[in-house]
Amino acid sequence: MNDITPRDIEALLETFESSNWSEMKLKIDGLELFLSKSPDARSSVDFSEYADKAPAPVAAPAAPALAPQHGAAPDHWIAVRAPNLGTFYRSPKPGAPPYVALGQKVEPMTELCLIEVMKLFTSVFAGLSGTVRRVLVEDGELVEFNQLLFLIELDS
Amino acid sequence: MRRVLVANRGEIALRIVRAAKALGLETVLAASAADRESVAAREADRVVTLGPAPARASYLDANLVVHAAKATGCDALHPGYGFLSERASLARLCEENGVTFVGPTSASIEAVGDKLAARRLAKAAGVAMTPGSAKLANADEAVAFASEIGFPVVTKASAGGGGRGMVVAHDAKSLAAGFERASVEAKEAFGDGTLYLERYVERARHVEVQVLGLGDGRVLHFGERDCSMQRRYQKMIEEAPASALPDATRTRLHKAAVDLLGSINYRNAGTVEFLYDVERDDFYFMEVNARIQVEHPVSEMITGADLIRLQLEVAAGSPPRLDQRDIVTSGHAIETRILAEDPRRGFLPSPGRITRWRAPQGEGVRLDTAIEEGSLVSPYYDSMIAKLIVHAPDRPRAVARLRGALEAFEVAGIATNIGLLREVTAHPDFLANQLDTRWLESVFLPHYGEPRG
Repeated sequence: MNDITPRDIEALLETFESSNWSEMKLKIDGLELFLSKSPDARSSVDFSEYADKAPAPVAAPAAPALAPQHGAAPDHWIAVRAPNLGTFYRSPKPGAPPYVALGQKVEPMTELCLIEVMKLFTSVFAGLSGTVRRVLVEDGELVEFNQLLFLIELDS
Repeated sequence: MRRVLVANRGEIALRIVRAAKALGLETVLAASAADRESVAAREADRVVTLGPAPARASYLDANLVVHAAKATGCDALHPGYGFLSERASLARLCEENGVTFVGPTSASIEAVGDKLAARRLAKAAGVAMTPGSAKLANADEAVAFASEIGFPVVTKASAGGGGRGMVVAHDAKSLAAGFERASVEAKEAFGDGTLYLERYVERARHVEVQVLGLGDGRVLHFGERDCSMQRRYQKMIEEAPASALPDATRTRLHKAAVDLLGSINYRNAGTVEFLYDVERDDFYFMEVNARIQVEHPVSEMITGADLIRLQLEVAAGSPPRLDQRDIVTSGHAIETRILAEDPRRGFLPSPGRITRWRAPQGEGVRLDTAIEEGSLVSPYYDSMIAKLIVHAPDRPRAVARLRGALEAFEVAGIATNIGLLREVTAHPDFLANQLDTRWLESVFLPHYGEPRG
């Protein structure tokens, strides 16, 4: 867990915007940020189809997995958690294949999912090199701050 | 309306959860990670964690809160006090997303939130404001105007504030002498020596009227409160009624508040704050608080109303069949704010684990809190940990009840202001109700902690 807030990221974006740097990479605790002024650096994602999706139906809340599940996973499986409350999406748009599949190799900058808050989408990155072993949330589900999203087996 | 998101923490979150459940509503508490184990979290039907402990990443993020409301199927949102409660942007976000905001419309919050706009509203509604002049050309004009509104007066710089260009004058001679000095000072500070004049209130009380707009044009009031006991503009003790007011003044005060908020068809709970000039027996409009306030329990104790319940009923579009004639005040109520602060160390916040918590109980004693033995007072939020409220047939008996309750209140593990409150409530000026907004800081605190003998 880190103390980086959306506002801190905004400040970083502003600094980057007004600089003459072409790229910026930042890594603090669980957060990784990659900024580039080149339009080819990353393909942009069309979120418009998500925007009108109906809110998740109200169900009896599943106990949010806030604490590490002891004994459930080997020690070298690392948890990726939700940075804040929001709606979890596994793929860049409805119908598209998910960002990552079980067993897939990931790098620190691999996008794992989106967390949506009032139509604002934030990417969650793997933050480490390894293999996706568990996906713990269903697509379109409400996740809470610090909730377990993925378990990733660390490269040895 | 059937499910309410409670977007707050501490005692007010618990108070709202209980009021909502009593009305048969379901409750979802939107908490920070620090408050997941709170009493409100235990009692709510569901808890969702917005974000980490710091408020800006949890309680102060309107998008998170409204998203939580929608995603958990809430059709209403109660903001409590503090945090986002008076942000027009939150009310608007709710309006745009089909979530009922338990509070005023975003337009009303905007109309009263801006000080100048609120003054224009007050003026249009015929509500008294501190008498003041237009720009003055010279000392003669100042003396002429002061003679009209009466001394004492204070000069103010047209171009700025912060005490520069301010001279208090008690008569024509001192005003004439002080005018030039003030003008030069203003000229030096702001590059503009233009002055205007305002009535100076030497001994002021902070009085305020609790209102509830029913949403159908009617605005009811629940009497007034006296919140003169303040430190750095933070209220510490609040009373209802304001027993220093003559009855005729009290009636005019209520009318002013109702007229002001009636003029904008105000909906839900609100408070109109006034400065009461003790010497002149006159009051002036200060500001409107477009939310439920910390000190609402004293108004509840003297009227028997449940203001949080009323807030929810008004928001649900089923305003109670309540008429102003039904709201009758009885007796006297006093609230003291119990703070996790150390008065002997400059009121330094004292977060930590509460190892002992023995709260007073008894007839006419009410405690609004979310603290219990073993609770952790978090360093992230406001230091108020409880509100001790007493009610009795009159002020002397309410004071006696309060002193007994404070005496019985035992807290260990952290420093609190309970000791200070015991001494304040034993002071002859408090007993005689000879108080004003400067009393605590100018009369009491300078000698606090000195050995008595």
